[in-house]
Amino acid sequence: MSDHLGHVVERGAQASPLHTAGMALECRDLGFSYTEARTQIPALRDVAFSLEAGGSLALLGASGSGKSTLLQVVKGLDAPETGAVLLDGAGGGEAGYSGLQRQVGLVFQTPELQLFAASAREDVAFGPRRLGWTEAEVAAAVDEALELVGLPPERFGERHPYALSGGEQRRLALAGVLAMRPRLLLLDEPFVSLDPATRRELSAILVRLRASGVTLVLATHDVDLAWALCDELLLLDAGRVRAAGGWEFGEEGAGLLGAERLREPFLVQLWRRLGRDPRQAPRTYAEAAEALA
Amino acid sequence: MRPAVAQYYPGDSPIHRLDARAKFVAVTALAVALFLRDSFAGLAVFAAAGAVAYVLSGVPASWFWRAFRPLLWLVGLTFLAQVLFAPGEAFYSFWIFHFSWEGLAFAAFLSLRLLVLVLIGSVLTLTTQPMALTDGLAWLGRPLRRLRVPTDELALMVTIALRFIPTLLVEVDQIMRAQRARGADFGSGGPIKRARALVPVLTPLFVLSFRRADELALAMEARCYRPGIVRTRLHPLKAGVADALLLVVTAAVIAAGLLV
Repeated sequence: MSDHLGHVVERGAQASPLHTAGMALECRDLGFSYTEARTQIPALRDVAFSLEAGGSLALLGASGSGKSTLLQVVKGLDAPETGAVLLDGAGGGEAGYSGLQRQVGLVFQTPELQLFAASAREDVAFGPRRLGWTEAEVAAAVDEALELVGLPPERFGERHPYALSGGEQRRLALAGVLAMRPRLLLLDEPFVSLDPATRRELSAILVRLRASGVTLVLATHDVDLAWALCDELLLLDAGRVRAAGGWEFGEEGAGLLGAERLREPFLVQLWRRLGRDPRQAPRTYAEAAEALA
Repeated sequence: MRPAVAQYYPGDSPIHRLDARAKFVAVTALAVALFLRDSFAGLAVFAAAGAVAYVLSGVPASWFWRAFRPLLWLVGLTFLAQVLFAPGEAFYSFWIFHFSWEGLAFAAFLSLRLLVLVLIGSVLTLTTQPMALTDGLAWLGRPLRRLRVPTDELALMVTIALRFIPTLLVEVDQIMRAQRARGADFGSGGPIKRARALVPVLTPLFVLSFRRADELALAMEARCYRPGIVRTRLHPLKAGVADALLLVVTAAVIAAGLLV
């Protein structure tokens, strides 16, 4: 049983102070390949899906299925070879597209590797400064972001990033992206190698962000957290979309997740074992407790 | 991603299959001989030997070109310096420059010698895995161990350094992407601005490298690595008939080159 199941993800949590309106995302027939030793290795093939502003999408798939590549293409770090990424309905080359791209936040896998400044505050300020904000605006955004990730600036602001614990570093790196006030937040395996308490804190942060209206895309192997946090899913297999849209837990859906080296979320399995309709399975332990009471 | 330093071209040609030690000895001997002989005839012999090795190696010309390209300015500079300043009877003079047939011939000779040297050296580096070359050098340096030179340890250091070049390049790419996602700009501005833009890349890279070095040292100790003892090898160097033949042919080429 995975370790984070002891916590309750409250879906109706209070809004974060970031107050951002989410961004709508649409991908049209995206194709991308890597060149290795003069051979093309396709990483994405005809990937198409859309996500409403304020929506939340779990990006699932085995290792090497193209999750990280998709996030980097959406952020614009790699240009798609075919197809297009539409942000709020605008495509590349249209007026204001690069401005929209700046409102996409991408948290890399093990983002603590990117920490470099001499203090936590300086590291978080790096992104906002690149956006050309005034120092007052930068300071406000930094304090807000540090507060949001549970690293109060008065206690952590002047600490050296490398003197923090692994979990604190992960949250600091997240603050570095949140301080840029993204309207679409892409997270690449944010829960990898975190202790249960940090996982709990991180998922609580994501719930608050979602409640504040930020559009979330979460690439993960953790189907239970994906189930708790995301309304929709996109299942990738060797760069192709195997399933997109709402969670579907008929016989077919369970087989599909199993075939991709995943499994059904615990609460869905529980509902199935209890002889209840798995499509009605609760998202959180609180909802489960209520339904079973 | 192809490392810029180790320019090995994977292949299975007769040259690739030769022992690293034999190849290193042959190339070193040829390089020395090349500089002992001051005649176009000798140069032609060594160039022919280099050309035969190049054809046998099966390495595409474009890879050789990559080895030559950075050296062309050096060759050009050598040529110019010799043409302009070499002593000899001038057939044309201009200000402080005197063009003479002797000067032209000497400049051409020096430039060609440099090119032949690069050709012969490239055959070695393009057909020999860096690790095999390191092992070969460690073997050749064994007599130095009597003088307490830690040859095996030096070879291991070089091997580890080479092994981690591709890893570091991948990490640099990852860190640069992460910082670009935070708005970093590595492509614009003057040299100072560009150098400053690298700070967010280099700091994490150094931290990561030191951490990795620490972990590697611990892991090696945990697997009983002790400096100063003779290690066995998974792929022992094996010299055969072909390697002996290479040395004989090399000796013949050198004799021919020095005597013609």
